[in-house]
Amino acid sequence: MFNPRDIIEVLAANVRQTKSPFGIPKFMVNTWFKDLSLHKEGEYLLFTGLMYQFSPFIETSTQYLEKYEDTKTADYLKYAKWVPGYISGIGLAMMTKGKEKRKAGQPLKNIVYLLQKSKVDFGYRPELDDYSGILLYDMGDQKEFVAHAKKVAQKLQSAGIKKIITVDPHTAYALKELFPKYTGISFDVKPYFELLNFEPKDCSLEVTLHDPCFFGRYLKASDITRKQLSNMGISLTNIRNQGEFTSCCGGPAESISPSLSNEIMEKRAKELEEPGKPIIAYCPICLGNLKKSNANVEDLSSLLARHV
Amino acid sequence: MSLVNLDFAEELKEYSGDTALECFNCGTCAAICPLVNDNFPRRMIRYIQVGAREKILENSDELWRCLHCGLCTHTCPREADPGEIILGLKRFVLANWRKS
Repeated sequence: MFNPRDIIEVLAANVRQTKSPFGIPKFMVNTWFKDLSLHKEGEYLLFTGLMYQFSPFIETSTQYLEKYEDTKTADYLKYAKWVPGYISGIGLAMMTKGKEKRKAGQPLKNIVYLLQKSKVDFGYRPELDDYSGILLYDMGDQKEFVAHAKKVAQKLQSAGIKKIITVDPHTAYALKELFPKYTGISFDVKPYFELLNFEPKDCSLEVTLHDPCFFGRYLKASDITRKQLSNMGISLTNIRNQGEFTSCCGGPAESISPSLSNEIMEKRAKELEEPGKPIIAYCPICLGNLKKSNANVEDLSSLLARHV
Repeated sequence: MSLVNLDFAEELKEYSGDTALECFNCGTCAAICPLVNDNFPRRMIRYIQVGAREKILENSDELWRCLHCGLCTHTCPREADPGEIILGLKRFVLANWRKS
């Protein structure tokens, strides 16, 4: 286990300096939309919160953290907060494979395709798409989270944004529950799958659904995904921990203790693999973490886009 | 030896709600927690109830093992909200570290 204070101070310094917990400049992280012609205006604003885009960088940093956890080298992490965020961030970006970075944008392209197919009126404005600060909140750094959240919320408010589509559970929770409470600014926030509207189909397929904690439990949104899948004729296997009682993938512990994260992930992956069907995740953190177990797992958006 | 701080629950109000005193120590949270580790989070809540402020600071690293998955809060029969209590303790400990 790393010293939590060292990790928190690095994350907080990075968010303060670069608006990203990893220090990577936004132009290097958010590139998925560049080969699409997306409208800027619409009834809703698509707000990714950059979580899917961060996933390859999380994987790279976790590989290094795994190497140094519980070694003497881990003590040097306390000096990392003095390294300017952009320098460590650009370093991390360069150590991450281009192929992985391109792959990380695919779920977002799928989501755009699904929303367009459902005739949802939405726009995307990359300059308004920022990280929500949720990791600072989860780590207990309330002061830094609130300072960052206020900047993000005020920027959206100044741009006249009222309705937002989110794509991951962490950003959805931040915008829906935490922003009104800690910034005093509220938006009408909907996860993308709530807005999908397709003709019923019969895909005659069975999958195992892994509900992320924040969609399944905190936001109680797992029934919506079940309805969407049922509409497509996709049935679900019956596992013990699901819906509101879903079990964690271990992802939230990967910065503090990669070994603990792996331990939790292996338990969950075993449970999900038991029915022997493809596993569907709908959170970039869960997706990345479960993939480490070599489980047959894909994002909900990929499954839906393939069968619409 | 550890000193008891009778004002600790009051001090914690700055960082979280005051639901810790609702807990009757049934242990559901510790049983359902994916960590299955040394009576976590029940032991931490007990420390708040008895005012064992220093014990929390001594064992503070343990708080960051919490995944904030919310299962403990979802199943607590007393609605004591253990998940939010742990989050509040993280805030309290971090504030203490930064003061020191």
